[in-house]
Amino acid sequence: MKNPIIDITDLSKFYGKTRGIEKVNLQITEGEIFGFVGPNGAGKSTTIRILLNLIFPTHGSATIMGMDVIRETKKIKEMVGYVPSDANAYGYMNVLEFLQYCQRFYRTNNTIQRINDLTSWFELDQKRKISDLSMGNRKKVAIVQSLIHQPRLLILDEPTTGLDPLMQAKFFELLRLENQRGMTIFFSSHILNEVQLLCKRVAVIKEGKIIQLEDIENLRRKQLKKVIVEFGDDRTIENINMPGIVNLTLLQGNRLSFMYSGEIHELITFLAEKKISDLTIEEPSLEEIFMHYYK
Amino acid sequence: MSLLLWITVITILISFTMSVYQTFVENRTKVMGMINLVPKGALQFKGISNVNDLVSVLGFYAVNNVIYMMVLGSIFAMVLGSNILLKEEYNKTAEFLLTKPLTRSEVFFSKLAVIILHVIMLNLVTTLAGFISMKLVQKDPFSTGAFLILSLYTLLLNILFGATGLLLSNLVKRARPITTLGIGLVLFLYFIFTLSKITESATKIGYISPFRYVGMEVTNPAYHLDIWNVVYFVGFTLLLTALSYRLYCRKDIYL
Repeated sequence: MKNPIIDITDLSKFYGKTRGIEKVNLQITEGEIFGFVGPNGAGKSTTIRILLNLIFPTHGSATIMGMDVIRETKKIKEMVGYVPSDANAYGYMNVLEFLQYCQRFYRTNNTIQRINDLTSWFELDQKRKISDLSMGNRKKVAIVQSLIHQPRLLILDEPTTGLDPLMQAKFFELLRLENQRGMTIFFSSHILNEVQLLCKRVAVIKEGKIIQLEDIENLRRKQLKKVIVEFGDDRTIENINMPGIVNLTLLQGNRLSFMYSGEIHELITFLAEKKISDLTIEEPSLEEIFMHYYK
Repeated sequence: MSLLLWITVITILISFTMSVYQTFVENRTKVMGMINLVPKGALQFKGISNVNDLVSVLGFYAVNNVIYMMVLGSIFAMVLGSNILLKEEYNKTAEFLLTKPLTRSEVFFSKLAVIILHVIMLNLVTTLAGFISMKLVQKDPFSTGAFLILSLYTLLLNILFGATGLLLSNLVKRARPITTLGIGLVLFLYFIFTLSKITESATKIGYISPFRYVGMEVTNPAYHLDIWNVVYFVGFTLLLTALSYRLYCRKDIYL
């Protein structure tokens, strides 16, 4: 495995007694597009804000490109781009002024050409005042400012909020291009489809803890199965109780569905004792897999 | 509120007040008679310890413009100091600024420089307005040295309140009540100062107010720049700034 570009060790953050994240461990390899998935309040933004030194950890440490995120934050930020979830730029500037202002922070040979290329990619009017822009256009400005210095690492916190589907597709296309040129992408989202579309590896965070770290494909291939059973006798429904069965849901009539993780033959043996009239075992959708971990 | 607006308002107030001076001197006997009817405590509350001070243009300026130059100037500095870092948080622009290749120190000192520069600009223009107003209405010459000393005290006072605002902003987690709190603190300290002047038993409490360390006796021939008062202003400004710096460098930025 290559050296990790992000290396998080036992990272915890508590806001007083309230948990932000707890003992998070994560390594992200240079060049990958990594998904960071979890429901709202799970700790995604807390983790990102520690990486960017906006907040300080209670315990643990994190490095980016081998540099400590607290002590060497300035050096790190020269090579990192960031798209915040709430894109609030300086409203009194126009798009071009803001982007040029951002560009001045970096020691880069980039010229106005980079700004022109990115704004035309996102169909942004450079002369529009930022305060007059819609939420989606502000998001585009936030994305452009994160890319103007061609960072080695791009951190995205819910980046597609406000973007229409066409613009999302263009944005993903650009991310793939930048990734092919060597940019590592850390993609935080609660929208599973976009993670599936873009990322190869994913960490699932729930209540401040990493509960799963997998390749997307492995996650799909997991033993988890979606089972739909129809019983001939409704009294049997009450007796569906065996290890590995979760998310039991009563459908119409004597039909019910559940998620099962375990050996299939054990399930079949168990069900064979019941009076079943129909049985379907299928691959769950990625959404259903994640919901299984969330619950 | 912009610096330009504050400069305009204070300059207009100073010029307007000084324009009254000539009428005041021309009707001196009548006005002094009326002033003598006012209770001593009320005069002291207004900053008049000796009514004869009002006759000289510098005394008139010091007594009448203290509220504009010192109180309004301090409110300006306090509001600026308390909002300059916090507004990046409540406007959520900190997520752009603090994720650029900057250290917290660089952000802090650049914001501090903005506070000092703005307060100096405000004082420079309003002091100049005061000087020109006095030159225009003066009957007798006044001591430019005393005027400059008073102006220096005002500047130091304003900067101290700027540093206080900066510290306040690092002590609170939420930005919204900070402006009200800051203005309230300036007015409270000014009230303490005036109270200590009119009530003998409250003299000691006046020492907690920075206004107490501004030499106001400009008509006194022995009026001079008290080095200990300067040390007080500079010392406290440095102390509050150092505390703010330490807090800001370790602060979680809430968005």
